[in-house]
Amino acid sequence: METEKEKKYTINPDHTRSRTRRLVYDALLAGIALVIFWVELQIPPLTPIPGIKLGLANVLSLIALFAIGPVDALAVLLVRILLGGLVFGNPSALLYSLAGGALSYLVSLMLYKLLRPGQIFICGILCAVAHNVGQIAVAVLITRTPAILLYFPLLGVSGVVTGLFTGLAAGFAIKTLEKTN
Amino acid sequence: MKTADKTGKTYISTRAWIVGIAVFFAVCVVGTVLLLVQKPGTVANVYRDNECIYSVDLSLVTEGFEKTFTDENGHSNTIRVENGRIRMIAADCPDKVCVDTGWIGNGAVPIVCLPHHLVIRIEKQPQNDIDSVAR
Repeated sequence: METEKEKKYTINPDHTRSRTRRLVYDALLAGIALVIFWVELQIPPLTPIPGIKLGLANVLSLIALFAIGPVDALAVLLVRILLGGLVFGNPSALLYSLAGGALSYLVSLMLYKLLRPGQIFICGILCAVAHNVGQIAVAVLITRTPAILLYFPLLGVSGVVTGLFTGLAAGFAIKTLEKTN
Repeated sequence: MKTADKTGKTYISTRAWIVGIAVFFAVCVVGTVLLLVQKPGTVANVYRDNECIYSVDLSLVTEGFEKTFTDENGHSNTIRVENGRIRMIAADCPDKVCVDTGWIGNGAVPIVCLPHHLVIRIEKQPQNDIDSVAR
C-alpha cells in the first residue's frame, strides 16, 4: 500500500512519511483554504441565485487528496468548513456546506482510485457538481419544497464551469509541487 | 473506453471522461434554457414548509404595498409587492440571502429564505384562493 502511494502521488513521500511533516502540510493547506474561503466571501455574488460561487477553497482539498492522501483531504475539508462557517460565514449556512462537502468528498474518494495524475481536473468538476447536489438536497429537505429541484440544471451548469476552473488550478498546483520536490 | 498505462493498470481515458461530462453539461444547459424560457405566470405564491401562506397576482397590483410574515418563533420576513414584481425588503434571518436576491418577476429564480423555511415562487396559479386578489 505504501508503494502504491509513492508511485502515484507527488509531494515527496519522504516528506509525508514523517507524521510531524504531514501534520504541518495539512495545517498549511487548511490555513490557505481558510484564507481563500474568506477572500471569496468578500467578492460580491455574480448572480442573485444562491449556491453559485467559485468554490476556490476546494482547490486545497484536492491538493491534499492527490498530493498527500484521503485522510488529509478530509481534515483540510472539515477544518475549512467548520472554522470558516463559525468564524467568517454564518452558522446557518454550515449545514449546507457540510452536506455539500460530504457528498463532494465521497465523490473525490471514488475518483482518487480511478484517476491518473493528469486527470485531476475531472475530480474538480465532479466534486463541484456533487457539492451542488448536496446543497440542493438539504434545501429541499429543509424547506420541504421539491420544486427547488427544478433549479438543478442551473447549478449543474455552474458546477461544471466552476469545477473545471478549480480542478485545473489544483492540477497545475500539484504539477508545480512535483517539480519543486 | 479504457486505456492502460505503463504499469499495465487500466484507466478510463481522459477523452471518455470529457465526453461524459460534456453530455451532462449539455443536458444541464438544455434544462436551464427550458427553465429560463418557460412562460411564467404572474402569481406570486409565498410558501412556508411547502404550504402556501399567501398569494398575489402581480399583474393586478396597481399600487405597491408591503406585507410582513411572522412565524411561530417570532421571526419575520417583509415583502414589497409592486406591479409585475416582488421582493423581500427585510428579514431578521442571519444570512439575508432572500433580501439580496432582489426583485423577481419572471419566474426563473425563486426567493428563498432558508432559515425561516420561506419560499416565494412565481407561478401560473394561486395555490389557495384566500387573498388571491390583491386589494
